[in-house]
This record gives sequence, C-alpha cells and structure tokens, in this order.
Amino acid sequence: MKNRPASLFLAMLLTASAALLSGCKHDADSQPPTGSVAFELKNMVGQQALALDGTAYTTADGETFTVSTFEYYVSNIKLTKSDGTTYAAPNEYHLINTAKPGSSNFTVSNVPAGDYTGVSFVVGVDSTATKGDPLALPGDLNPANNMYWAWNTGHIFLKLEGTVTSTSPNKAFTCHIGGYRQPLSAIVTATPSLNGATLPVRAGQSPKLAVAADVLKIFDGPTKFTVSGLPTTMMPSAASVQVATNYAAGMFSVTQVQPNSK
Amino acid sequence: MVYGLAKNPPDAATFELGRQLFYDARLSSDGTVSCGSCHQVSAAFAHAGQRLSSGVAGRRATRNAPALQNLRWRHSFMADGGVLGLELQTLAPLTSPAEMNTPLAEALAKLNADPAYRRRFAAIYGPGPIDTPQFLRALAQFTAALTSANSRYDKYVRHEVGGVLTAPELRGRALFTAKCSGCHATDLFSDDSFRNNGLDRTFGRDSGRAHITSRAADRGRFRVPSLRNVARTAPYMHDGRFATLPQVLAHYAHGVQPSPTLDPLLRQPDGRLGIPLSRQQQADLVAFLRTLTDTEFLTNPRLAPPRAEPAHPAPLATRN
Ligand code: HEC
Ligand code: HEC
Repeated sequence: MKNRPASLFLAMLLTASAALLSGCKHDADSQPPTGSVAFELKNMVGQQALALDGTAYTTADGETFTVSTFEYYVSNIKLTKSDGTTYAAPNEYHLINTAKPGSSNFTVSNVPAGDYTGVSFVVGVDSTATKGDPLALPGDLNPANNMYWAWNTGHIFLKLEGTVTSTSPNKAFTCHIGGYRQPLSAIVTATPSLNGATLPVRAGQSPKLAVAADVLKIFDGPTKFTVSGLPTTMMPSAASVQVATNYAAGMFSVTQVQPNSK
Repeated sequence: MVYGLAKNPPDAATFELGRQLFYDARLSSDGTVSCGSCHQVSAAFAHAGQRLSSGVAGRRATRNAPALQNLRWRHSFMADGGVLGLELQTLAPLTSPAEMNTPLAEALAKLNADPAYRRRFAAIYGPGPIDTPQFLRALAQFTAALTSANSRYDKYVRHEVGGVLTAPELRGRALFTAKCSGCHATDLFSDDSFRNNGLDRTFGRDSGRAHITSRAADRGRFRVPSLRNVARTAPYMHDGRFATLPQVLAHYAHGVQPSPTLDPLLRQPDGRLGIPLSRQQQADLVAFLRTLTDTEFLTNPRLAPPRAEPAHPAPLATRN
C-alpha cells in the first residue's frame, strides 16, 4: 500500500511521455484506418443445429448420442490479406459455450483496413496465456468458468460431454481436451477456407463471418473414433492430441461472408 | 511461478480473512470439510496420522497431505508439481470431487451470499462482488504466512539461546549433510526438484512428475519434500506408506528398489542400492530430524482456527 503514490506518479510519467512521443510522430489523421470483423459460431451436428435438450444425433456409422455440454476456446485470431500479410489480433480469447447463446458472437476490432482472404484461429489457449498470472486472467479465461484444470495448471480447450444412446446400456462420455506441454500439446490451429470470398475491412464497415462448428468432425478426421469408443480424456494423452488434430482439421467451416453487418 | 508478494502485500486484515477462509468448512459441498480438516497446525499443516485424507462424503484424496510451510519460495506445488502458483493451489482441493467438491463459481456465490464476508472483502478490496483474484489472494495470504524457522536446529545454527544439540544429534547432522542433503538441500531441506527415491519398481498407481509431463524419464519422480517439522508430519511419502521415521531410514538403508529413473545418488559405486547406514547411524539421523520440530510454529495461536467460528457452522445459504 505504501508504494502506491510512487507507482501512480510513475504511471503518470509514463502516460505523459507516451503521449509526447506519439504526438511528435504523427497526428490523429495519419493513423491507418481500422475496422472490425464480426464472428458468429454455429454449433452443429452435421446439418442440424446442436441442442442440449436431449435431442439424439446419428453418426455416419449409425450410432446415436445426445450432448449435454459443448464448450471450446477460440483465440489468437489471424487475418490474412491476398498479398500474404497477416494481422494477428491481440488479446482475443473467446469461450464458446453452447449453453450460453450470447457467447457465440464476438467482434474483433482495430483490424487494419484491407481486403482479407484468409482466417485462422487457435482452438484453445496459447501456453503463454494459460501459464500467465491466473489472478490476472480476465473474462472468458477466468478459472471460474470451469474450463480449467486445477491439478495441472492450465485451461481445458474443449469439452464435449453426452451420452451414447445406441448402446445398451447407454454410455456416458466425457471428452476434455487440454495440455500445452510437448509431446502432448493439444494447442491446434483451425484454418477454415473463406471459399474465395473476401472480408472487406474499412473504417465504419464490419464484415461478418459465419462459421459452423460440426461436433461430428471430432470423431471423424485423420483418426476415426466411434462415439462409444471415444476414450475418456480428462488429462493430456495421445488420444487427446488425436482428437484435437481431428477438430483442427475439419470441425470449422465458413458458411457465410457478409461484407457489412452494421 | 513464485508467490506474487508484491501483488499481495501482507496485511493483518487480509491475513485474518485468509485464515477464516482456510478454516471455513462451508466452502465444501456438504459443509463438512475445510482446508484445515486435512492441514492441521499441530502437524505443521499435514494431516496427523492419515495416510490418505478424506474429503466430502468420506471420499479419499489420492495422496498424503503434506506439511504446509515456507511455501512463499516455491515455484510449483503438489508432489508432481502440477500446480503453478500458491494462489492457484486453492483451486485443486476446492474443486476436486474427492476433497471439497465445490466449483469455483459456486464458492464465489457462497461467499457473495454471506454479508460478513462481503463486508470483510469490501473493506480490503473495495466495493463490488467478491471475485476470483480477491478470493485466491486472501486465502494465499494465510498459506504464504506459514513460516517455520524457529526449531532447535535453527537456534543452533543462529547461535541463539536454547540452540543446543546433543552428541547423537550432532552426529546425525553430519550424516545428514553427507548422505541426505544432495536432495534435502539448504535450510529448507529440499532442492525443490523431482526425484525417484526408490519406493517402487513400477509406478502404475501414481507416476509422479510424469503425470504432468507425460515423459518416461519422469516416471516415479516425486517432489523432494522439506523435512522441517518432519517428526510431526507422519505418515511419510506421497502415499503415506511409512508410519515412522525409523521406517523411512530403514527404507534408505536397505529398502530402495531399482527402476530406470532411480536417482543416481541412491546407486552406490559398487552397484548396491540405497544409502549404507548402520543401525546407530539411522538412530542418529532420526535424532537429528527431531531437532527440526518448531514448537512455536506448531502452537502458534494465530495460525489455529479463528475462535469466532462455531464448531458446526450452518450452511452458508441458511445463515443470517
Ligand atoms: C481432503 C483433504 C484436503 C483438503 C480439504 C485440502 N487439502 Fe491441501 N492437500 C491435500 C493433499 C492430499 C495434498 C497433496 C496433493 C498432491 O501432492 O498431489 C495437498 C496439497 C496442498 C498444498 C501444496 C503443498 C505442497 O507442498 O506442494 C497446498 C498449498 C494446500 N494443499 C493448501 C490447501 C488449501 C488452501 C486448502 C483449502 C482450500 C486445502 N489444501 C484443502 C489434502 C487436502
Ligand atoms: C535422491 C534424492 C534423495 C535423497 C538422497 C534422500 N531423499 Fe528423502 N526424499 C526424497 C524424495 C523424492 C522424497 C519424497 C518421496 C515421495 O513423496 O514419495 C523423500 C522423502 C523423505 C522423507 C519423508 C518426508 C515426508 O514428509 O513424507 C523423509 C523423512 C526423508 N526423505 C528423509 C531422508 C533422509 C534422512 C535422507 C538421508 C539418509 C534422505 N531422505 C535422502 C529424495 C531423497
């Protein structure tokens, strides 16, 4: 408590000098124009919207299952222009929780104006953020969201829980994917194609990207799992890396690019 | 990450709040288990006599509850080092179904529903709901304050009144320096590393450090624990397998088991395993370990349950 006045004074000094510096370099007009990009995630099972109300879904193999929990992080969003230059949006961490419809929409602002032809994002949380001071973890990263392993410090990147109803008796399944240490790091990047479309970012114009997240692709990717045979993953394992590789490869697809959502 | 002292400057009100939280069984799902249930001051905050402690509904924790002392200087916690901060350590027992079984959001809701807690938190952190950092920081002020540095051994080292060691204790100290301090190093009696001290040949039930790192080279390695107050923290080892210190010494003398990750310090040049120790030497070592008992710490009334707390508190929701 004692050093508060001193640090306040220091903070004021720093702000003052920052203002001075930027004031010398350029005035407000010469800042490059920026816009924003809106994201809408739609959680699906194949062609059907995912509901947590006990609706049973069918896999290509004919298994049926219900879902009670489906949550995941989207972070480290990158936008790529046609010339290959990339804008990496800082401090974007979004927890998409099927039980909270509002969590499926978010907006990335301060994107430099330009025509973007590619998008990528981490499904999960980077190791720096997950190892950072947990008491400084804001909003969606807060351990109180229950997407956190207390015994092995770090976030859970994706949670899928439900019940297989085509087996007798029915079989509950729990799939928690996380872990940032090699060789079992489950930090994966999804790069869904814009299918030739362009995101025109301008000052005062907010293009919107609708992205479907298909639960079936968690089972069906480079590694094939049946829902009933999906290993219970509650800690980093070889299986959790396979599941993460599956969802990075195929879970996300862009369904619509809207030039302006404002 | 070492305890963020600078971000959590110690003060009396926060310490008392942390103490209240540490001993508050209402933070468990059925109101029966507090941190203090498994971590008792008279046992240097280990769980006296319990091999594996029980949490709510008689469920058992998977490891032996260790002493809690001098934690401020540590980088990681638990026998496998899985927890990366003292503040965060609270989350593990709080949310574990076998211990307190309360999700963090629920714990915060319980605290926020209690006017007395609201008042005490607001007095320290300002108005507004009690949040994650406030809760974890307040509790950590208590655990960070658990300092043991006044054993007879400490007084001997500092040439203070009462710092007298007997001849067997002094022989034990010399033996300890020669044979044990490679792992139980410095006056914290731990080098804070993870080592395999030869308890088993295989580690199917608990792989130790490998549980966190998934590396074969870490199988069977466990944190080197501090030995301060060790005469009070029985039973011993991560699973509480040894009931007494003589049993621990017998293990080092002739019980060490071979495995690929066995620590090199426990392989003699002639190929024998363990640390050669005569019965007399074992007895001297035990005598030395007993000088590490810090009675001031173990009987400090400021670290005991706060008196205002009723023995069987009502569940939070129905209070007031
Ligand atoms: C059911 C018994 C139980 C309860 C309740 C409990 N603990 Fe523990 N505690 C343990 C066990 C067992 C370990 C060792 C776990 C391990 O190494 O995997 C431990 C480890 C710790 C450690 C790490 C010590 C070290 O040397 O790494 C700290 C700190 C701690 N507990 C604090 C707390 C706090 C704070 C609470 C209350 C929020 C609490 N404990 C509640 C049993 C318990
Ligand atoms: C190779 C490193 C190493 C050496 C050398 C070593 N220890 Fe240990 N010691 C450990 C480790 C690791 C543990 C914890 C194992 C576990 O938790 O399962 C431990 C645990 C203990 C414990 C139990 C503490 C508790 O609270 O459970 C005692 C007592 C102990 N050692 C005493 C000694 C003595 C005395 C010596 C010398 C004769 C010695 N150790 C030598 C690594 C070592």
